[in-house]
Amino acid sequence: MDTLNVQNLEVRYGDLVGVADVSLKVEMGKVVALLGSNGAGKTTTLNAIAGLVPASGGSIEWRGESITRQPAYAIVRKGLALSPEGWRLFVSQTVEQNLRLGATALADKSRMSHLFERVYECFPRLAERRHQRSGTLSGGERQMLAMGRALMSEPKLLLLDEPSLGLAPAVVETMYETLHGLHKQGLTLLLAEQSIQLALDIADYAYVLQTGRTVLEGTAADLENNEQVQRIYLGVGAAEEAVTTSPAA
Amino acid sequence: MSRNVKLGILGLAAILLLYPLLFSGAFALNVGSAVLLAAISASAWNIVGGYAGQISVGHGMFFGVGAYLPLLIYQITGLPPLAGVPVGIALSIILAIIIGLPAFRLRGHYFSMATIAVAELIRIFTGTWEYVGAAIGLQGPAVGRGWWDLTFRDETPYYYIFLGVLAVVLYVTYELQRSRFGSYLRAIKSDERAASSLGVSVRMTKLKALVLSAIFTSIAGSLYSIKTGFVDPESGFGILVSVQMVIIAALGGAGSLFGPLVGAIILVSLQTATNTWFGGGGSGLTYILYGGIIVLIARYEPGGLYEYWQRISPRLWRSRRAA
Repeated sequence: MDTLNVQNLEVRYGDLVGVADVSLKVEMGKVVALLGSNGAGKTTTLNAIAGLVPASGGSIEWRGESITRQPAYAIVRKGLALSPEGWRLFVSQTVEQNLRLGATALADKSRMSHLFERVYECFPRLAERRHQRSGTLSGGERQMLAMGRALMSEPKLLLLDEPSLGLAPAVVETMYETLHGLHKQGLTLLLAEQSIQLALDIADYAYVLQTGRTVLEGTAADLENNEQVQRIYLGVGAAEEAVTTSPAA
Repeated sequence: MSRNVKLGILGLAAILLLYPLLFSGAFALNVGSAVLLAAISASAWNIVGGYAGQISVGHGMFFGVGAYLPLLIYQITGLPPLAGVPVGIALSIILAIIIGLPAFRLRGHYFSMATIAVAELIRIFTGTWEYVGAAIGLQGPAVGRGWWDLTFRDETPYYYIFLGVLAVVLYVTYELQRSRFGSYLRAIKSDERAASSLGVSVRMTKLKALVLSAIFTSIAGSLYSIKTGFVDPESGFGILVSVQMVIIAALGGAGSLFGPLVGAIILVSLQTATNTWFGGGGSGLTYILYGGIIVLIARYEPGGLYEYWQRISPRLWRSRRAA
């Protein structure tokens, strides 16, 4: 059975269309990538799934139940956690307080210490800085904290928005190793990423978004050899196709 | 808490406790209880305005309800005004829920404007409603029939009652600060959407904070009217009542435990000074004072004196150690 099933999703910001027509499926235990340039609708799609922006059309189903009109705080309780673009940390609170807030949706609070251990094991740097204000962290550490915070709700599906954005290549590599490890432990991932190479390395299946529509999908291997993907992402052919046409990322 | 902070708190508590013994004049005591009352209402405001970052500029509505009910109950039934305090609290809770449910759909300035509008509506409505004294207002018992009427000729009992209530409000705020609920409030203040994506029910949490804040604001109103023995629409629901809470908290440091108390000490002293120097002719000066403080805070220290202190105190200790 499909774990997450998005059908013909449409999101409008007033007159502007953030996402016009996106359909995708994520199966349990898989890594699925959402590819596309800036403004293609990746972030809006993830935000709509997480309940942060209301869908104006289409449906979002999670394990056979419609979550299209549900508020964000109810969705995270069902096992979908978002590590958002730009991290959105609570900068005046410490690393530990941020992680604790991540466990808000946790039904069984006695699992908290176990989860703290797991997150600190994944990201030893966070353990070192646990009493530091999160506003004092470096970019890489902030990304770790955003992911760690999302993991504190013990999600079944982790929505990751551009984990590589603005980070040094070496940091990105460690980040992806960690993601790989988490996936091995059974975590399902839906990953929005601009860097197609990174994403296809880890993903089982991928969707390509363009101006708010799913234009292409396939297994990672298929897409890697696809002519259209090469044209859009490797700069072969018309560059203007990749230019932002929608205002919402 | 560091040792220095603990010592500071102890010192402040000692000064507040001993103040009536140090300054026994009626005037000094009057100023003292005015400071405490302002600190109580600003601390109450601080729960929703400071910690949760929801800037209500209509908290006068809870203050007014708290102020009116004791005197109204006395006028109708002859019961001691004290009996009206729980009724005021209950009404304030209901009011907070009725206002909060729709108003928390709004964010930022829009929320603030909605609270002003409601408070002003209630003020105008009260001013035309004969049953609650219309524009003339209500009076309490002229002469106390017993201690339970809380009409003391001496200021000292009021001072200690206010101090006790302030201690309770600060203790509740302290516990709130350390609780899970408190961290939800701070999360909402810094990023509402991130908080909701982690599972915080934002509107419900804000509503709970507003209710808690309204309870204490209502108590502050009751203390005011019981002590003064009089309330009218302006002194209960007036915009200045609401604005004063915001300015005091912002001056001392909104979202900090002792910020409102420090702000109250400074602002009430300043107000008293301008009132004594300029007398009744200087009533407009309060507005000028408020305006000036708003400009100064906004320009130099948006976090209030508390942030300023946090920034300079490490340097102070260091230079002292070096010397």
